[in-house]
Amino acid sequence: MRVVIAEDSVLLREGIVALLQEYDIEVVAQADDGEGLLRIVAGHKPDLAIVDVRLPPTFTDEGIRAALEARRRFPDLSVLVLSQYVEPVYTGELLASGESGVGYLLKERVGEVRSFLDAVHRVAGGGTALDREVIASLVRAQAGKGDEPLAELTPRERETLSLIAQGRTNAAIARELVITLGAVEKHVTNIFGKLDLPATDDDHRRVLAVLAYLGAGTKLAP
Amino acid sequence: MPSPHHQVAQRTGSTLLAAEVTLSAVCCLAVTIIWAATGGAFWPLWVWSSLALPIALQLAWRRASAQSPGPRRRLAIQGWLSGVLAGYCVIVWAIAGFGYFWPVFPAVGLAMAFALHAVLYSPRQTDLSARVDELTRTRRGALDVQSAELRRIERDLHDGAQARLVALTMQLGRAEARLEDRPETAELIRQAREEATAAVAELRDLARGIAPPVLADRGLVAAVEGLAQRSGIDTTVESKLTQRLAPVVESAAYFVTAEALTNAVKHAPGASVRIAVRRAGPRLVVEVADNGPGGADPRGGGLSGLRQRVEALDGSLNVDSPEGIGTTIRAVLPCES
Repeated sequence: MRVVIAEDSVLLREGIVALLQEYDIEVVAQADDGEGLLRIVAGHKPDLAIVDVRLPPTFTDEGIRAALEARRRFPDLSVLVLSQYVEPVYTGELLASGESGVGYLLKERVGEVRSFLDAVHRVAGGGTALDREVIASLVRAQAGKGDEPLAELTPRERETLSLIAQGRTNAAIARELVITLGAVEKHVTNIFGKLDLPATDDDHRRVLAVLAYLGAGTKLAP
Repeated sequence: MPSPHHQVAQRTGSTLLAAEVTLSAVCCLAVTIIWAATGGAFWPLWVWSSLALPIALQLAWRRASAQSPGPRRRLAIQGWLSGVLAGYCVIVWAIAGFGYFWPVFPAVGLAMAFALHAVLYSPRQTDLSARVDELTRTRRGALDVQSAELRRIERDLHDGAQARLVALTMQLGRAEARLEDRPETAELIRQAREEATAAVAELRDLARGIAPPVLADRGLVAAVEGLAQRSGIDTTVESKLTQRLAPVVESAAYFVTAEALTNAVKHAPGASVRIAVRRAGPRLVVEVADNGPGGADPRGGGLSGLRQRVEALDGSLNVDSPEGIGTTIRAVLPCES
């Protein structure tokens, strides 16, 4: 897998690069601003761009803007955005920006090596990886509206729902919750039944269905 | 600098005045020739003085208007015009043959009117209003500086302590992954990583409380929508506001919304909240209304802090909270942009 990184903090950039290289993921180019990201994406045609939200020169949302622009120019590019804070407006814009893989994670998740690498591979392969904080706020907002089917879910089913929304596969969910694959499948069937969602074997479509249910399609999109 | 429009008006005025002076001079010359041909008392003096009056009034007006607009200019205009009129009375008295000195009465009348005007708009009054202008400006300046300073602190946290802690979690994570064959040590490192992660989260909350990044990046509506999303209460946000406002106004409006939402979650669980943000002419109106139990104390700690914040910007904060109907908090903030 070929990856490019745009991150202005040398400390964090080197940390991420070292981690990825340890697990045989090739970092082909690095940039420290939005312009640089567009240049290296055009030059290296990577499978995945890992982008920090806050980049020079404005130190605001330069990274998101550059990532959206990169996806507009190269629709096949998968983007994993790393940030120190969760903002629904950014995740919404990313989800609405195209069909290829997309992720939005808090930076400290990089330290959860196994699930971070899992997210990197998933996004590079066209999947989704949303931070559990993003999903938690979506679930909270939906529950706050007095959503009855959501209230009917058992605590375990809720956990499973969050993991599905984050973009995890059944195997990853089983590992995370320390349960069998069969148990996960049962939870998934129950959840889709209770929320009245169309059952699907396609992982990507499953994530989109759950996100749409949680209002990420309408409320988060700009 | 006078505006181009003003300059054009002045040029047109000068041309008209020059034409008037020329025409008057021609008239004066004509009547003098007629008098020379017919003889008698020197009556053209009456024509001369009458034609000179409007010209003198115009010149006085121009002279006094040269000052910058304000109470002082109005006073100067009145002074100059009164002077010209009093002078005209004296000339008429002189032409009429120096009889009883009646011009003293109009002169005294004009002087009294001028004195009254001068007392009402004394230089002290002018100084006071200039002082108020200055204080308003410097107070706003201080608030702008404070808002920029808070933003800088947030950025320093983000690039400093937060970034270092994040780097630490990454390193701990790598160490943990290498120790899979020594589960006890790996567990110890995992705990250390989770502590560091908790510290990052606390710093993030702190930074958001100081200066929420999305507010600076995307403005008030995006930040308020973020608040609504995180609140865990049924919230709708209505806004057609598209332009950005002064940072200090945006941040006051944001914190009003945040506090009002926190109150709603605390005192009106299960209620629904409607947040409306709109421009009304030169004002920004932020309204947070819930349909909870009502009965909020408008002097409560959080609310009075908000009121001070809003009033420092010459805005106002109203709390309407009838028992059993709900609570509406409404902030009106002046915003020139």
